[in-house]
Amino acid sequence: MNGTYQLTPLAAVGPGMVLGDVLRDGKGNVLLAQGVVLTEGMLASLARHGVELLPILGAARAEAAVAIDPTQVQERLDRLFRKHERDNHGDWATGLLRQYMEDFRLKREVQR
Amino acid sequence: MSRLSPEQLAASVQDLPSLPAVVMELLSSIEQENIDISVLAKKVSYDQALTAKTLRLANSSSFGLQVKVATIQQAITFLGFQTTRNLITAAAVTGCFPNGLCPGFNDKAFWRHSIATAACSRSLARRLRFNQDVAFTAGLLHDIGRLVLVTGHPQAYGEVLAWRSRQDSEWLDAERSVLGIDHVDAGVALAEHWNFSDTMRQAIAYHHAPETPGAGFLAAIVHVANAVVHALDLTGEEDELVPALSSVAWDAMGLNEDAYMDLFRETEQQLEEMSAILMA
Repeated sequence: MNGTYQLTPLAAVGPGMVLGDVLRDGKGNVLLAQGVVLTEGMLASLARHGVELLPILGAARAEAAVAIDPTQVQERLDRLFRKHERDNHGDWATGLLRQYMEDFRLKREVQR
Repeated sequence: MSRLSPEQLAASVQDLPSLPAVVMELLSSIEQENIDISVLAKKVSYDQALTAKTLRLANSSSFGLQVKVATIQQAITFLGFQTTRNLITAAAVTGCFPNGLCPGFNDKAFWRHSIATAACSRSLARRLRFNQDVAFTAGLLHDIGRLVLVTGHPQAYGEVLAWRSRQDSEWLDAERSVLGIDHVDAGVALAEHWNFSDTMRQAIAYHHAPETPGAGFLAAIVHVANAVVHALDLTGEEDELVPALSSVAWDAMGLNEDAYMDLFRETEQQLEEMSAILMA
């Protein structure tokens, strides 16, 4: 496995994150295979096994996402969508994608 | 300017490294149901590297298998023939092109974009009850023409990179301005050379123009997936740019915002796992 994973404390790991390497207990027994998508049940079980650190794939990105700076995120989105003009109503499909991506990245409540 | 003639394009397609014969067979028969599965499984098994990569992909969590498969035949039993065929193709194509030929061309970013578009197209297809395996392969191969150009004409493609950087344009415009042809032309030429199915050719040909009459639904799926993946900003390229979305293609998806939120999440998760396997 290459260096794309980062050892992450169990408390900072959430469901949906992916193991970047095989996970073993203190005796070398395999607990979970590389590539497994973690669930709440697995995390509870790992806590019982005394696991403290997990090799999480793309952890640097996940950590960055936890501490998002809304201004920076908005600036980056504006850069990605720099060819789209918000008042160009003819290009409404790109406008909707832009709005959805802003909701997704800035964790806004989705209108139901 | 380094204009490329249709003859030069055809020559560069001929000079490309060839795919294993069994993968060519799989690609050309992607919509046929009546092919002998056991014979194909056996042929694939002779290629150990291809088999190993395919099985790692089959055992990744994206496919949700409860048991680990150890042979191509087992993968077919648990995942079905269509999905396994799709994985073999992905494993073969991602290992086929040489890296690092063209300074400034980011091979890693190219494949991250292609794999993410494959995962996103597959997720879209599942929601739309379209063939997920065909959508995955079309997403993976939609920009393959760029690799044809980079591999066959690395110096000329270097000029495309410089032009695009100066003008801050989309790839298609930069390629047309510098080369006189674009990655869609090159992709279609490769699709013919590698004997892709008609549906796959159409998707490659029209993924930038899905509103063209006769473009087909698959082109619309890949078009939307491509834009979503650019917007998710997954390649690490500073000058990433979201292309204009076709309202016809967006309308054809008919999905609400909740569905798109799930699609964004799924695409991000699957990219990390699949790229770790396919780009190893």
